[in-house]
Amino acid sequence: MPTPPPATTRSAERTAPAPGTVALLLADARLPGGGHAHSASLEPALLGGLPVDDVPAWMAGRATTVSLVEAGTAVVTAHVLTTGGAHGLDAVARAWAARTPSGALRDAARLLGRGYLRVARTLWADHHAVAAAAGLAVRHGSVPRAVVLGAVAAACGLGPADLVRLTVYDDAQTAASALLKLEPLDPLVPARWVLDACAAAEPHVARVAACTTPDDIPSSGAPLTEGWAEAHALTQQRLFRA
Amino acid sequence: MPENPLPETAPTTTARPLRLGVAGPVGVGKSSLIATVCRALATELEIGVITNDIYTDEDARFLRSAGVLEPERIRAVETGACPHTAIRDDVTANLLAAEDLAADFAPLDLVVIESGGDNLTATFSPALVDAQIFVLDVAGGGDVARKGGPGIGRADLLVVNKTDLAPHVGVDVERMVADASAAREGRAVIALSRTDESSVAALRAWVLDVLAAYRSGAHVAQDPGPMAPHFHADEDGGVLHSHADGDHAHSHADDHDVVAR
Ligand SMILES: Nc1nc2c(ncn2[C@@H]2O[C@H](COP(=O)(O)OP(=O)(O)OP(=O)(O)O)[C@@H](O)[C@H]2O)c(=O)[nH]1
Ligand SMILES: [Mg+2]
Repeated sequence: MPTPPPATTRSAERTAPAPGTVALLLADARLPGGGHAHSASLEPALLGGLPVDDVPAWMAGRATTVSLVEAGTAVVTAHVLTTGGAHGLDAVARAWAARTPSGALRDAARLLGRGYLRVARTLWADHHAVAAAAGLAVRHGSVPRAVVLGAVAAACGLGPADLVRLTVYDDAQTAASALLKLEPLDPLVPARWVLDACAAAEPHVARVAACTTPDDIPSSGAPLTEGWAEAHALTQQRLFRA
Repeated sequence: MPENPLPETAPTTTARPLRLGVAGPVGVGKSSLIATVCRALATELEIGVITNDIYTDEDARFLRSAGVLEPERIRAVETGACPHTAIRDDVTANLLAAEDLAADFAPLDLVVIESGGDNLTATFSPALVDAQIFVLDVAGGGDVARKGGPGIGRADLLVVNKTDLAPHVGVDVERMVADASAAREGRAVIALSRTDESSVAALRAWVLDVLAAYRSGAHVAQDPGPMAPHFHADEDGGVLHSHADGDHAHSHADDHDVVAR
């Protein structure tokens, strides 16, 4: 008869969900983190003249450009917090900001970061990675969403490739959900576009997952999206924050 | 890696301003009521206002133009076309805006949050507000108060608004207030018109009472109960959350009430 494992191990197994389960939680629109008021740049794009027919291509474009900036930021954050490497979170946040030229989009990402930090501090209150993200928020006055996401990944042991996929998926699904509020459409149609966007990012996953330093974070931009975001921030009739 | 201790994002209850929600169907006079409260209390309280429009800042602009508060103290949040989500299922945007107002204009006494005019039973989560007012108007008809629902039945205060219009719409205000009081098992009801000074004084006194109770620790935030039936096309491809309608909604809500106790 094998001896039962010590009680502490058993209770640790019982209390820690699988990292993949945490990813599901984070990707679920029902998690109250403030995401429902955001459109992942879709409302600005439509307002700026993007035809609805082009939305699937635009989503795939995001999945292979700006989403990878977010994903790389989250991956490097998790790496820094897991290894205690030489580069602190301040450098990660600076690298992210340098790759996000639109002030409106930086503001929106920081607002989301505050909402995510509320979630993270409630669910992983005692974890040093979450405390580090909170410390950055105190030092900088804010913390971008991607950094909080990376801190949560470090806290729950979510691996870098899944973190990249989570980031890409969340961005695509946010745009897809917003589209249903902005255009008349069969709700299943954009679900296909979400999968297509995620598939478009798949060849980039390994490369982004391998990032370890702030300099490694992809700098693939989307200048039209940045311009649309700036114009959208000045309008008085918005459904979404950005 | 040395780290700072966790900062407090949500200041402790004693320090932060009272958060008061104002909900009710479209056009019943929520923004006007907030303007009335600000006007009546501006000299004695430090106030901030958050609006939740569907098309964001219409209400904020109305309130700024009313000139009852500094324009910077009135902020609009986006609701992603879901005003009920923003005050109940995911209150993040409102909570952050309330924290910002409290930080920018410290010390604030009161943050009033206007819900985007939604259906009859959208109510605030106690995670967002300490107390809430549900507003009806006489123009909606004398029967509305009898229809019940969480806001009418269990908001901290029910306001029957625009009583000055009652003669024009054939509504017996006393009757409507009596119906409402019965539906509310004695919870507070005020018949209000912005042109009736004694009713404005009653509203002012109610707000001050709640604030005093909140500060003394005697006030406990109540949850009036769950949502109205609504459609979520965004999350899971379209699910009709039909809790009930008509009279059944009331008994359904009562079930929750029993569970909550
Ligand atoms: N006669 C009368 N009209 C009022 C009173 N209070 C508000 N109104 C009018 O009712 C209309 C709607 O008022 P609002 O304050 O904008 O109502 P609301 O509930 O904020 O509206 P939404 O935010 O669009 O849902 C306006 O035309 C107001 O002038 C009142 O006491 N008496
Ligand atoms: Mg209004």
